[in-house]
Amino acid sequence: MSRINDVGGMQGFPAVVEEPDEPPFHSDWEAHVFALNGALLRRGVYNLDEFRDAIERMPPEAYLAASYYERWFAAITTLLAEKGIATAEELAG
Amino acid sequence: MSGDHSSAPVAAQVRHVEALLEERGVLDAGEIDRRIEAFLAGGSPLNGARIVARAWLDPGFRGRLLTDANTALEELGLSMGGGLQEQRLKVVANTDDEHNVVVCTLCSCYPIALLGPSPSWYKSEAYRSRVVREPRGVLREFGLELPASTRITVWDASAESRYLVLPRRPEGTAGRTEEELAGLVTRNGLIGTAAV
Amino acid sequence: MTDRFAPGDLVRTSSRDPAGHSRLPRYARGAVGEVVEVAGHHPLADERARGRTAPPQAVYHVRFPAAELFGEGDHAVTVELWESYLEPVDRRGKGRP
Repeated sequence: MSRINDVGGMQGFPAVVEEPDEPPFHSDWEAHVFALNGALLRRGVYNLDEFRDAIERMPPEAYLAASYYERWFAAITTLLAEKGIATAEELAG
Repeated sequence: MSGDHSSAPVAAQVRHVEALLEERGVLDAGEIDRRIEAFLAGGSPLNGARIVARAWLDPGFRGRLLTDANTALEELGLSMGGGLQEQRLKVVANTDDEHNVVVCTLCSCYPIALLGPSPSWYKSEAYRSRVVREPRGVLREFGLELPASTRITVWDASAESRYLVLPRRPEGTAGRTEEELAGLVTRNGLIGTAAV
Repeated sequence: MTDRFAPGDLVRTSSRDPAGHSRLPRYARGAVGEVVEVAGHHPLADERARGRTAPPQAVYHVRFPAAELFGEGDHAVTVELWESYLEPVDRRGKGRP
């Protein structure tokens, strides 16, 4: 599908901004999301292609407004609900 | 990217989901912390720098690296394994006439097990959209001005390979040790947005 | 299973907008490129994204001149593409639609 993630060649984006000496993760929660995805992939709850697909299925405006790891977390919660691990209500807390 | 004030609710929701998954036996206690620690201790641009320095000094290694990087890495005690499945590492060499630069336009694929996390700019829409269409302009923004005669190849990591650029050895480095040479190599050089 | 293409072959990428997840970038649809190498063999991502298993098929590094992709530019873009995304083109430029 022509999805919002497929931005190669798309025009109008700004100059690339490089953050000097950036840390591996900008917050603890980002590191946790990274590790959570690894754990769920390892357990076979979903595969990497399903994970990418779940990110790509985000509504375009939500995708563009979300930070990188916010997108990951959105995909993880989508898949946890779709795979029946937890309901959307339980995940929202 | 969200600032601290807007990331607080996300942090709470992440903790909540982790606790829920631990309750349900989907996560082991301490598993997340162990994974984070292992990741940060593992991949690093220093691994890439060692590979490059060895290739600069040893033409045989360079040849093996360009032919089959996964096997050649083992000579340095490095590996592309350790993840869910071993990824193929493709090493692309810059020459006097050719410059290579790597992107993942569709998401942000990068050899993280070897090099550690990718920089945020690599993940950005700005980089992913523009470097395939106007690589010279993007490289100029990084401070890299290439002669018009240099042919640029952009590698889009759209499938299972992961990429490492082998930069050209800088002038005036004859006689330096392997360690000193490795010290010249930057993360951006391994992606292709710096000369080295 | 034999690989359909070999280094040096000209290939044309699909022009279709697929129904779900796919790894042929939009900018590279309907473009003619040259196979640089066989890069490996993997199950098609489109199928894996549906939670299905799939037999491995060849993925190729295919090199496109920028002008072919964007109408301008003096660089090349090499994309790693599953065999399913590709059709043959002969060097006289005729290819199956």
